[in-house]
Amino acid sequence: MARDPKYDILFEPIQIGPKTLKNRFYQVPHCIGAGSEKPGMQAYHRGMKAEGGWGACCTEYCSIHPESDDTSRVSARIWDEGDVRNLSAMTDRLHQFGALAGIELWYGGPHAPCMESRATPRGPSQIASDFELNIFPRYMDQDDIDTVQQMYVDAAIRAREAGFDIIYVYGAHAYLPFQFLSPFYNRRTDKYGGSFENRARFWRESLYKVREAVGDDCAIASRFAVDHLLGPISIQVGEDGARFVEYCDDLVDLWDLTVGDIAEWGQNAGPSRFFEENHEKPFTGQIKAGNHTNKPVVGVGRVTNPDTMVAIIKSGQFDIIGAARPSISDPFLPKKIEEGRFDDIRECIGCNQCISRWEIGGPPMVCTQNATAGEEYRRGWHPENFHPAANRDKSVLVIGAGPAGMECAMVLGKRQMSAVHLVEADKEIGGCVNWISQLGHSDGKENLFRGSARGLGEWKRIVNYRQIQLDKLKNVEVHAGSRLSTEQVLEYGAEIVIVATGCHFATDGMNAATHAPIPGADASLDWQLTPDQVVSEAKRIGNRVLVLENEAYFMGVSVAQKLAGEGHDVTLVTQAAEIANYMDYTLEAPMLHRDLDRLGVHIHTYTMLEKIEPGVCHAYDVWNPAHKQQFEVDTVVLCTARISDDALFRELKADKARLEAEGIEGLYLIGDASAPRMIVDSVFDGHRLGREIDSPHPEMPLPFIRERRLWGETTNEDYLHELKNTADVALA
Amino acid sequence: MSGILVLAETRRGELREVSLELVSAAREVKDPAGGRLAVAVIGADAERFAGDLAAGGVDEVLTVAAPVADFEAHVWQRALESLIDSEQPALVLAGHTIDSLGFAPAVAARAGLGFASDVTAISWADAVRARRGAYGDKLQAELEFPGKACTLLTVRPGIFPVASPAGGSVPARSVAIDLDGVARTEHVEFVEAGAGDVDITKADFLLSIGRGIEDKDNIPRFEDLAERFGATLSVSRPLVDAGWMPSARQVGQSGKTVKPRVYLALGISGAVQHLAGMRNADTIIAVNTDPEAPIFGVAHYGAVVDLFEVVDELEQALE
Amino acid sequence: MKIVVAVKQVAALDEEFELLDDGAGVDPDFLEWDLNEWDTFSLEAALELRDSAGGEGDEVVAITVGEEEAEEGLRSCLAKGADRAIRVWDESLAGADALAVARVLAAVLERESPDLVLCGVQSSDAVNGSTGTALAGYLDMPRVAVVTHLDWDAAGGTATVHRELEGGLIEVLRIRTPALLTIQTGINEPRYATLRAIKQAREKPLELVSPDGLGLDEAAVQAAAGSRTVALAPPERGAGAEMLDGSADAVAARIIEIVGERMAG
Repeated sequence: MARDPKYDILFEPIQIGPKTLKNRFYQVPHCIGAGSEKPGMQAYHRGMKAEGGWGACCTEYCSIHPESDDTSRVSARIWDEGDVRNLSAMTDRLHQFGALAGIELWYGGPHAPCMESRATPRGPSQIASDFELNIFPRYMDQDDIDTVQQMYVDAAIRAREAGFDIIYVYGAHAYLPFQFLSPFYNRRTDKYGGSFENRARFWRESLYKVREAVGDDCAIASRFAVDHLLGPISIQVGEDGARFVEYCDDLVDLWDLTVGDIAEWGQNAGPSRFFEENHEKPFTGQIKAGNHTNKPVVGVGRVTNPDTMVAIIKSGQFDIIGAARPSISDPFLPKKIEEGRFDDIRECIGCNQCISRWEIGGPPMVCTQNATAGEEYRRGWHPENFHPAANRDKSVLVIGAGPAGMECAMVLGKRQMSAVHLVEADKEIGGCVNWISQLGHSDGKENLFRGSARGLGEWKRIVNYRQIQLDKLKNVEVHAGSRLSTEQVLEYGAEIVIVATGCHFATDGMNAATHAPIPGADASLDWQLTPDQVVSEAKRIGNRVLVLENEAYFMGVSVAQKLAGEGHDVTLVTQAAEIANYMDYTLEAPMLHRDLDRLGVHIHTYTMLEKIEPGVCHAYDVWNPAHKQQFEVDTVVLCTARISDDALFRELKADKARLEAEGIEGLYLIGDASAPRMIVDSVFDGHRLGREIDSPHPEMPLPFIRERRLWGETTNEDYLHELKNTADVALA
Repeated sequence: MSGILVLAETRRGELREVSLELVSAAREVKDPAGGRLAVAVIGADAERFAGDLAAGGVDEVLTVAAPVADFEAHVWQRALESLIDSEQPALVLAGHTIDSLGFAPAVAARAGLGFASDVTAISWADAVRARRGAYGDKLQAELEFPGKACTLLTVRPGIFPVASPAGGSVPARSVAIDLDGVARTEHVEFVEAGAGDVDITKADFLLSIGRGIEDKDNIPRFEDLAERFGATLSVSRPLVDAGWMPSARQVGQSGKTVKPRVYLALGISGAVQHLAGMRNADTIIAVNTDPEAPIFGVAHYGAVVDLFEVVDELEQALE
Repeated sequence: MKIVVAVKQVAALDEEFELLDDGAGVDPDFLEWDLNEWDTFSLEAALELRDSAGGEGDEVVAITVGEEEAEEGLRSCLAKGADRAIRVWDESLAGADALAVARVLAAVLERESPDLVLCGVQSSDAVNGSTGTALAGYLDMPRVAVVTHLDWDAAGGTATVHRELEGGLIEVLRIRTPALLTIQTGINEPRYATLRAIKQAREKPLELVSPDGLGLDEAAVQAAAGSRTVALAPPERGAGAEMLDGSADAVAARIIEIVGERMAG
């Protein structure tokens, strides 16, 4: 299909210093868990986006020296020739697809604890990091400043050698150059502190030196948080923010603009729950609007809508559309816009699961919408290519159209199985996403710090995308509103049966902390509910509500937020140190805390219930069980644990003779029905089974490539040898 | 055979507007058809409508008394067959309505007439020609009726203007047709349809709202407006994402594809995924404060004006 | 009891398509075929009647006029539970309009002598809404068009139906059977076919007949046709939207006017 002229502007090339960016789609630096030590993952993840049409792809933050070491979080590194060699894999692959390669040269200062290198980070003033735990920098005198600036230069030279086209001096997210610029970090009284020019000096000098070293060959970029969002005590766009851009405009070929810092970087990588598309516009949009720069500007805002992209460029907000998460969710976004395949665009849902893995430190990235993110190299998965299954003459019955079932049916459809029937008991497909996406709206008031509780509505895109794809697949039939009995499944006529029947919430208070039900917990009573009953408004909810949250992710707190928003007096109890622990990793925690606080939710941590009686919950302190507390309540919501709905699977499995008689050759259990998990993992589970349905033992995941040091001499082949699945990416 | 016979339609004692639209349609080809335009009305109380049918261009009103209180498909079929037989028109026009679905094709089939349904334009070069949609209105088809001395067309309502009354009066004549025992169905009763789940794909008139409505609290106002207007309320995705409205009301690629007669888009910019769901509506009217809004690219009528000011005026006018 | 369901395999246009050289048809490469949505409801209605009241030897027969693509639609009817299917085709039927198709179907029904004939109100591609009633006309069968509810006393030979009128009004009618009913969407929840049923449907009888075989020669088919398509063209579109000028009250008045015109009848 031809490109709609409306989108032509997104495909116009633009000059960045000595380089030409072929279109306006730019993958800004973001973490993936690869760094320089998993060069295959790095090269193939970035390369996939280049193949999908992105004009430039950048590394994640890239340490210039062992003193900038964020272990266990994974950064890239360009410390030595080995790193040059490894990162070249990435630049080669990007160049193969016509994309520019960017490297974000990073020195973290006290935000990088150096737990691997054991080095001592340096900083402008000796103030402990507001992000890390108890990490102080060593005060930088002039020698230190010269040394660190030389690190940037040496790193830039290595970067050029590695083939990078765009070289950043990275000061956003409150890393070193920003620490000099901002009085929040910089209390110096020498020429590097005090006045604006003094505070800007370090950054400007670094840019100058890097430019001197490599500026003829490479474009020099700078990532800058134009507003720290802390008011006058730090950088504000209307004051030093715009001024800094003007001040260093001569030294920069490309401005990459953000807001905020690393301590609350959810203000930049805004989760959809609290931030809408293009949410940074009020800040980053001021730079071009106020004519503060003559250079091209790239900015982000979780923009997924092609019409928004066009409007951003046409209105002069940015010159280039920056994206991290939308590029993870759909590496082929640019191609799909070009080809007019809007219905194939897989939109980011803003869940920040990708980010959570980096925050945890160590694991490879994941993506709820794109199960192939992070698997491009180690499993050879391509988001758009699906090897026809060797056993595609078989027909498949998938029972349950939640995230796992939908994904599995879709992949099997794309792998050309002769017939795939996806059968769902509910009237609509989507499973738990249908009710979960109704949570998060709070009381609908917009009075939080920069944002409002928008709800989890964008998570519905999980269903939207799969619904459209399933509809397009001619070999896939979707039948909703049909609950199959064991007998009906046996007689269905499928050779492969995949059970994806989801899970339910425990009704007796069974939980991970005590491994036992809670006396008096009984969600069959009309004054006790499970979270889904809250959303479906199945029961009347009294004024005083106690929500017991033992799951550590969004469910309990979202229910508390909903009920408090509706005017109930809510008490939230958790045995953990913190409510919704996992939401720290998804960057949703700060805004959530602000909202719960505003709504007057009473939070009790390190607290567990030992008995529930009508009108009162008996609680105790986890550290000193003798320490009791009573909560007088009208309603109790039990968000303690989930239990797989695997009865159908167990019944089917029990009668092997019958399975054989009916011609059922394969019986599998996926998603929450196998073990309750996060949605991102259910999607993955369904995807993997689909990709490996023709392996000798599909229920057991095939080995994947582990990028680790193999003793003795090795070649790339030694690693490829580990891949047992047929790769849909050309992994040569 | 010459001249045009228009079949009027009534329902529960009221003349339906399509009857006079048919007169306008007929007038366009009156001369080549042979110059005589008669309008027929069938029913127990047919003469009652003679005056209302005396529009400009009508030469004669024919009333046919029917022995049934309400419309009955077989009676109407026989009556029309008789009229065609006695009046010998070259062209017969009926509205494309639920009633005519019950008899017009049967009349055409049995009498071997030229026939087309749901036509949106009629012309006459050497012979009558008609235009109608094809592939669900994605294309337009030109039809001919070779070798047919008489052609029966059912005409899409709302396309032709309603003909206005004539200056003077128009002669009316009752035509006696024996219709006893012709009925083959028995009317039991009328009932109002239950509310049921909303199905926006079935609605003829959608009033659709988007982010331009600004606040969730404004929704009741638009629900009210839709009801006054006789429209069904539908929405674009942002309102569903925000949890303001259920997805059953969503128009668009990930919602429903609709093809109503009228799609009134208020405060919808027209993201490509939304347009995919409504671009084939018969008539699209868009109101948006942004003159660049993509919805104007598919709309038939547009207005760049403050949404709430227009809503104020609509509310008043529809009081 | 024998219930005949007349179905149609309908064509949906791809986003981008090309017309044939004669400009009177679409290049088949750009068409996607599927069973008409209305027919899934009429088939379901027939199956429900047979399942609830039928006994040995009672059948639901699916019939269609269509080219090879129509076989798939008939197979899906068989997979859902129809007992037998008949497809009528030869080249003389290419481009046949609603009346010609109805004439051919009438010939099939004369052979079959059904107790009840169900059709969809209309097809999603041609949207004539005429084939069922024309068919009833050829057979001189009593009929009701646009049925949203059906109670059939097969033994007693009467049916009570709801006819859906404009504006949400329903008319309740009684009719004697054999009769022909055109069925509206939403009347029931169409069942789907399991993989086993789809497989087994390959063994069910699907008869291919030519019009000749029904005693209809080419001239008879031609004579029955009510119209001929001479040209296809994209819909006329003005250069963009007609902008309504003026103040809010002028715009509002104009909107009400346009809506009134379009919604008339």
